[in-house]
Amino acid sequence: MADSIQQMDQRELMTLQHYMKEYGQQAEIFVGQLELLENGRMEAHAAIEALEAMIVAEDAIVLHQIGGGASVKAKILEPDKVLLSIGAEVVIERSNKDAIEFLKERIIEMEASQKKVSETLDRLRGQMNEINKRLEAGYQQSVAAGQEQE
Amino acid sequence: MFGGLREKLLVARNRLGSSIYGAAATQSPPELGLSTGKTAPAPETSKPISPLSPTFVDKVRVLITDRELIVSEKDVSDALSELEMTLLESDVAMPVSDAIISHVKISLVGKHRKIGDSVDALVVGALKSALLDVLGSGFNLADYVRTHNRPVKILFTGVNGTGKTTTVAKIGAYLKKMGFTVVIGAGDTYRAGAIEQIGVHAERIGIKIIQHQEGADPSAVLFDAVQYAVSHKIDVVLADTAGRFHTKSNLMSQLEKIKRVMKPDLVIYIDEAVAGNDAVIRAAEFEKTVGSDAVILTKADMDSRGGAAISIAHTIGKPLMFLGTGQGYDDIIPFEPEQVVEDLLGGGT
Repeated sequence: MADSIQQMDQRELMTLQHYMKEYGQQAEIFVGQLELLENGRMEAHAAIEALEAMIVAEDAIVLHQIGGGASVKAKILEPDKVLLSIGAEVVIERSNKDAIEFLKERIIEMEASQKKVSETLDRLRGQMNEINKRLEAGYQQSVAAGQEQE
Repeated sequence: MFGGLREKLLVARNRLGSSIYGAAATQSPPELGLSTGKTAPAPETSKPISPLSPTFVDKVRVLITDRELIVSEKDVSDALSELEMTLLESDVAMPVSDAIISHVKISLVGKHRKIGDSVDALVVGALKSALLDVLGSGFNLADYVRTHNRPVKILFTGVNGTGKTTTVAKIGAYLKKMGFTVVIGAGDTYRAGAIEQIGVHAERIGIKIIQHQEGADPSAVLFDAVQYAVSHKIDVVLADTAGRFHTKSNLMSQLEKIKRVMKPDLVIYIDEAVAGNDAVIRAAEFEKTVGSDAVILTKADMDSRGGAAISIAHTIGKPLMFLGTGQGYDDIIPFEPEQVVEDLLGGGT
């Protein structure tokens, strides 16, 4: 009888471990999405900064990063014309000011998405905490049952 | 769901409405003598002015609200361009956005409109009809199962990490709730933990699962699942498979083999709504390579743009079947175009 109870507990523990694993995998996906959104947001901020600087820069000369920590001075031929990817793989020409407005709107959208993903992630972590508590309790129970048998 | 697109469509709808009002204001009829600049010929017999003669306000009311108007392309071209930008910015694929614009243009331009009732209703009607045209008719899975020979074999395909296995479980729960018996074939024998994952789902929702060892031939697993369904008179076989990109030829050949062995009635492509236009492109590639009968988009609750949901059916010519909207087994909703359009545009017709 004691064996069957222990076996049942073991099965439950295994199921809980599977749940934890599955929730963990889902959480990883959401963390990945949050990172993507954060990167997108930071990029948009950097682009706004660059666009604003282009307009005020003397002779429209800016530092252009070419990778590996190297930069060159570059002259923007048309600082008020920006080729902007607006979505659906479509690139259009906009004025510097309009491009900045567009990017600001995109940042707001990304922040809203980040909020949603964070909320889902929090819910998921809450569920993981619950499972963890049950796992912990089950583990304590099985240890106690083992000591009784001894 | 699709909150960003809803807000942008509201702006575009108001802009179109304003353009039509603007056109009405500039097309003042000669009989009202508002903008022709010509003097009306004097009547042969002068009549006393009736106290009920139309005042200027009445004339404007007639002009703005009661008069019949012909909307020209010029009247709405700016508003349509803005609508096009709105759609593209929401990641609606270019051909789909073109189709919507073209439909709206045909609905509005060149026709006699009695604009008195509601310009907004006219615009909303045109937008609704255009969106419904590109969204297709949806796909009622329960009806399909009811009207086809059992077991109905459904094969799920798609790229990695889009929530395929969870979606298979959700559909299992949905079909069970609809009164069908279901068996799941654990055909993702490649990803570590995938068999355990679908096993836990199946146990939770009380559905039989057929599984082999990790690394086994998925065709064999799914063949066994079909055999089990036949011998136990099960209504539906849900065949999970490993995620793969269409560019991996060995994995695509494996999918071909699975199709030959289990002879699915439906091949469903699963992707995530948040992938936007990428999901549309991938769905089109899968459709070309292995074919598909319908599409499911997951994580629609996190997608504010709605581009993939709007574009996918029109682009690949296959209906959208479900939208995944959360973590629970019930968080999957059958895609009903009328409902989606109603949510996006609200009342107004």
